[in-house]
Amino acid sequence: MPKKPLLLTILDILTLILVPAALGLILIYTPVEVNMGPVQKVFYFHVASAWGGMLSFVVAAVTGALYLLRRELKWDWLSQAAVEVGLVFGLTAILSGMIWAQPIWNTWWVWEPRLTTTAIMELIYLAYFILRGALSTPESKARLGAVFAIISVITVPITFFSIRLYRTIHPVVIAAGSDAAFSMSPRMQTAFFTSLGVFTILLADLVWHRTRLAQLQSELEQKGLAS
Amino acid sequence: MNGLRRYLSAVWQVFRKDIQVEVRGRQGLPVMLVFALLVVFLFNFALQLSPGLQAGLTAGLLWVSLAFASTLGLNRSVSLEGENNALDGLLLAPVDRSAIFFGKTLSNLVFTLLVALVLLPVFSLFYDLNLLRPGLFLVVLLGQGAYTSLGTLLAALSIQTRTRDVLLPVLLYPLALPVLIAAVEASRGILAGTPLGDLRSWLFLLAACNVLFLAAGLMFFETILEE
Repeated sequence: MPKKPLLLTILDILTLILVPAALGLILIYTPVEVNMGPVQKVFYFHVASAWGGMLSFVVAAVTGALYLLRRELKWDWLSQAAVEVGLVFGLTAILSGMIWAQPIWNTWWVWEPRLTTTAIMELIYLAYFILRGALSTPESKARLGAVFAIISVITVPITFFSIRLYRTIHPVVIAAGSDAAFSMSPRMQTAFFTSLGVFTILLADLVWHRTRLAQLQSELEQKGLAS
Repeated sequence: MNGLRRYLSAVWQVFRKDIQVEVRGRQGLPVMLVFALLVVFLFNFALQLSPGLQAGLTAGLLWVSLAFASTLGLNRSVSLEGENNALDGLLLAPVDRSAIFFGKTLSNLVFTLLVALVLLPVFSLFYDLNLLRPGLFLVVLLGQGAYTSLGTLLAALSIQTRTRDVLLPVLLYPLALPVLIAAVEASRGILAGTPLGDLRSWLFLLAACNVLFLAAGLMFFETILEE
């Protein structure tokens, strides 16, 4: 196991400072939205984690492609780390969305395009780990995992554009679901874009740590210490 | 030009072999057919369906039966090559391995279209609704084309795992969801009497999925099968 890089330590500290700072910005600095009340503040971290999840899945596809081209295991470590952290971010987006939906839509879940495609996206990347778990050699895990991560990335634009795609067909459904149901004041915008940035840094930090864990696992496997 | 002819001839030979195995053995298609009919009957009791169904319900039922039956065929098509190490023989052939993918996709498509050809009159009979419409044939062709090309690719992936063919539905269903949604929406529209022109966004989506998954097969089939 190589020594922890200085840059990672700096990133750790930066994350530890920025996440509470963003939270403070959201709780104190932003105004309470007129129609929805305090629950609207879920929105900042909700969109940020959805963004983080999607970005992470794209990273997994790109690093998967790099693995297939270069055949170096380090790209696979990064790819699997990105999928795993992306799954957690996606789940956070879904759960925080549900917390918002309960008072606003009066239900935890609606079978609406954006929610459905996000849930499907999570299921696909869950299948990624089932696939890896069912393969025996590190090489086949990396190779087939990379292929699956690349194919699966089509769900990211589908999830992103799901609202737009459906709008031509089901205008009524969309009116209930879109995020753009309220306009943001300048303070809200500041908090919103800060959250996006902070979650991107948090994502990078977690993926980096998870990549190092994958590297450690791989070294243990080579020494015959783990299955 | 000569290279293309050789490639197409390889595709044709793989296709012909699959059809020949089916004609002589009759081990795949009858199972798919009976299974598709059983799904129809199961749904009938589970959902207490009655004749004169809504178009939406019929379209959904049709595609679920087709998707389930196709999965059986896809697994069969790949596990067949596992018997007597037939796959090694195929891989030894001095052709681009994507030719195997196209040949298998084609034979799988023919099988599922045959199932659809039986299923459509049966639906029409049982649910008192004319499903034998040219527009619906087009949707079935496009939908099954996309579904089987993705399915053939993922079946080749799942067959290499320890769990073998058990994994295919977990990988295939979530990824095939855009295809199924578009196919159900287009079928529903056709059964409700909507002109084809108004359904073109769904038909375009299906056509795009065909292109996308065939391209994915062309790019990745070689990588999936390499040992």
